[in-house]
Amino acid sequence: MQFVHYLGAAIGLGMVVIGAGLGIGKFAAAAAEGIARQPSAADRITGAVNLPLFLLEGVAILAEVFILLIVLLK
Amino acid sequence: MIFFAQEEAAEKGFNAGETIIEHVSNSSHEHPLFALPRIFGIDLSVTKHVFMLWFVAAIVFILVTWTVRRYLRQERLIPTGFMNAIEAVVEYVRDSIVQPNVGRQWVETWSPLILTFFFFILTANAIGLIPIFEVLALLDRFVLHTSPDSFVKHLIHGGTTATSNFNVTAALATITFGAIIIAGSKAHGFVKHWKNIVPHGLHPLIYILLIPIEIMGMFVRPFALTMRLAANMTGGHIAILSILSIIFLFAEKFGGALAGVGVGVVASVPLAVGISGLEIIVVLVQAYVFTLLSAVFIGMAIHVHH
Repeated sequence: MQFVHYLGAAIGLGMVVIGAGLGIGKFAAAAAEGIARQPSAADRITGAVNLPLFLLEGVAILAEVFILLIVLLK
Repeated sequence: MIFFAQEEAAEKGFNAGETIIEHVSNSSHEHPLFALPRIFGIDLSVTKHVFMLWFVAAIVFILVTWTVRRYLRQERLIPTGFMNAIEAVVEYVRDSIVQPNVGRQWVETWSPLILTFFFFILTANAIGLIPIFEVLALLDRFVLHTSPDSFVKHLIHGGTTATSNFNVTAALATITFGAIIIAGSKAHGFVKHWKNIVPHGLHPLIYILLIPIEIMGMFVRPFALTMRLAANMTGGHIAILSILSIIFLFAEKFGGALAGVGVGVVASVPLAVGISGLEIIVVLVQAYVFTLLSAVFIGMAIHVHH
């Protein structure tokens, strides 16, 4: 039973990656579609996508740090 | 570090986790580079990350001031050589990071801070990717043969990326935290800035819920900045080193250097090269993200959206 926390950390890490991947994928899809429809607004679309993208990435990184803490501190 | 690990592997087995953690973490406090006295119970000895911090700061200071002075001394203000690079970065940061967020009125106030962040973080990240001290370790191992207690031996332990230390990024985020308060106070006055944290004109009961959330948000933003930068810089290095340590794990498992070399040629080295390429992008993106988010937070204090 002493490996349970490793299992939890591994499952959690996988779920974080799934969530972050889905989020980033949606951002990229929406941005590409928007730019394809209106190429002249590419700069503004990129600007609008960037900030929430980095906030999403920040949440994912935070989760990974906490998982690392679980593993290291038990 | 890996070269030493290989030597030790013959005796007590290769411990990938220990080697990697030693490589990304700070050098130990027991054996600092320069021992300094304790002041008020704080150990001020210079460890490797402190050394890298000063090294990066010196490089940025010398390069940027020297180039800018040279530019200002010219008769015709046309940039040449390295000035072009700095001018491009300065213009980009000012026009597409600071100005859209902070606003035209405050660009001149906040551009210097954001630019300093950008140059410092970019240089610190980039120097972390260059294996200068690994080359030094190789030289020491095969050419110099210094004594176990020499300065060189201390220099080759611990990581080189100053921004992968959580204390460094926490200090940078603290500057942002202070800058947010100063920006709000300069734009609205000190008392009005704190009133601006919550929207006014709501039902009194909502404030009971809203004020703690907003105060928490005030601290979460610099905390997220800290974690994002440090975790990204640490994570990339851990990924590269884990893939490279597969070589030694295979060599140990199958009892021969040939297995290690085979895995290295087929899988490890190409993958590590790929991830290093990705890391170059991450280095740029993280410097950009930190400065962008700092600018956004400062702008949020100036232009209150409620």
